[in-house]
Amino acid sequence: MTGDAVAVGGHNGARKSYRLRDEPKVLMPRSLRGIVIAVLSVVIVVPIGYMVLMSLTPNQDVALGTISLRVLGIENYVQMWSAAPLASGLLHTIIIAGTASAVSVMVALLAAYPLTRFEFRGRRAYLYTLIALQTVPGTTTVLPLFAILSWIQTTLSVSLIGTYWPIILTYMTFGVPLSTWLLVAYLRTVPRDLEEAGLVDGCSPLGALRRIVLPLALPAMVVAFVFAFLVGWNDVLFASVFTNQHTQTLAITLELFSSTSFSTGTPVYGELMSAAVVSSVPVVVLYLVCQRYLVSGLAVGSLTG
Amino acid sequence: MLVPATLALLLFGIAPALLMIWLSFLNLTASTLRQFVEAPFYGVRNFVDAFTQPSSLGVTTGWSIFISFAFSLLSTIATAPIGVAAALSVHDRFRARGLVRALYLMPYIIPGFATALTARVVFLNGTGLVDKILGGLGITNGQTYWLIGPHAYWAMQLTEIWAAWPFIYLFTLAGLQSVPDAQLEAAAIDGAGRYARLRYVVLPQLSGVLKLGLLLATLYHFGNFTLAFVMFGGTPPPAGAEVLPINMYYNAFTFFNFGMAAAIAVITIVILIIPGYVYIRSARLAGRVE
Repeated sequence: MTGDAVAVGGHNGARKSYRLRDEPKVLMPRSLRGIVIAVLSVVIVVPIGYMVLMSLTPNQDVALGTISLRVLGIENYVQMWSAAPLASGLLHTIIIAGTASAVSVMVALLAAYPLTRFEFRGRRAYLYTLIALQTVPGTTTVLPLFAILSWIQTTLSVSLIGTYWPIILTYMTFGVPLSTWLLVAYLRTVPRDLEEAGLVDGCSPLGALRRIVLPLALPAMVVAFVFAFLVGWNDVLFASVFTNQHTQTLAITLELFSSTSFSTGTPVYGELMSAAVVSSVPVVVLYLVCQRYLVSGLAVGSLTG
Repeated sequence: MLVPATLALLLFGIAPALLMIWLSFLNLTASTLRQFVEAPFYGVRNFVDAFTQPSSLGVTTGWSIFISFAFSLLSTIATAPIGVAAALSVHDRFRARGLVRALYLMPYIIPGFATALTARVVFLNGTGLVDKILGGLGITNGQTYWLIGPHAYWAMQLTEIWAAWPFIYLFTLAGLQSVPDAQLEAAAIDGAGRYARLRYVVLPQLSGVLKLGLLLATLYHFGNFTLAFVMFGGTPPPAGAEVLPINMYYNAFTFFNFGMAAAIAVITIVILIIPGYVYIRSARLAGRVE
């Protein structure tokens, strides 16, 4: 605010120094900054705080709107596990999203390496396809995938819906382009000299990939894994079509818990909110723990789609 | 090395899109879907029906297109100034900046289904937080039905704005960080005040990345299925919340009118072709494909 004295003139000593009206790098006045932060904080904290408060309030008190701090307790967090199969939903999510994102990242590394290291026909077209795929909403692919699945099930008389395969493969459709983009953006910043040194020392190209590029790309691979994992964690559309009670994910368990609870007329709002908190906490903790890597990844990931 | 990725993309990304165009010309119901290869050809009837006949939900595809346009455009228009202001507010160094930055990400990183479910409780008639606040301040009588009827659109719209502004914030912050300090110092020495620096130094460099972010955000709002599905789930959502993804989903998986649903999905892609093309072009201009 008060501004620094900036010396103006040649380096053989500035005789005159101007006092700038404000610090050049500061783009928002401090008072306005305070207002913006205060308003946004309230807007963010109030609904989240309400969610947490409701998760600690007995169901009937939420329904009646008689909220008081005296009745708070953790009963909802205990009861919800038996009210809905949330534990198995959590397990299914971890299996499905974990497998899909682990495989996605491996496939993506294999693809990102030639895309950043070699010039070949169709390389640009490939990159464009990766961008384009990220603008396609899921509602346009869920139906044909469902038709193919039903057709395979009928023709070969096998049952696929209710197994992990269709949903894992579907999440890979999103995981592979996303991870490839993140890894392409990252590998561009890794100098080629390191691999060339490895090649000179007698590494095969694949050996260079495994011994030199893989360790260097590991942080980016972790970021890619997390983002691909969150695709599966957050998805409702595909999981609601491609899973049944044997494979349903946490998101679907919660969605079914909510819609049956609302349509039977005795909504267990408190338990629903505690389940919502439990589905949010791992994601939030994940972000807070590795905020630095993930936010830079978020910027790259979102910048690239 | 590209083979696994290419196969995955072709089999699960591009082939389904092509298949869907074919499906949209078939008379596909629950009984013909399993053997869709032999389903009767229907010509453009699914498309005609989509626009002329109200679906089992009671709205036409035209209505859903209108709602989806309003929803995605209003979301982008509303989140843009919030995101830019938020980015400016944490650009300069100050104590607790890390904390505020972490807080700003919260609405975005909470899973969409948890946000939608919370919104459902927050917007409860009479007993929800919104009605309590509005009633307490005397703005309304505190008895507004937000989850059914004509107000449903606005409940959904407000929730989307709450959840989506950090997307623009992240883009703006990334853009701000690429403005060299030296340029700001030079401008300041030349007498540019805070507003002039923002307007003539920062904004021109920000506009490319910001446009890209706004375009992408609009596409994502347009494709948002989770919010309306979870927020109004259990019963088919009210007319004001029948965005295009919801219309497609209920036609397909609740009413088993798969041909019509495929037609709606094709219409969705046709609508997104132009903004999608602009996005890919501007991604190239931003130098990300070299």
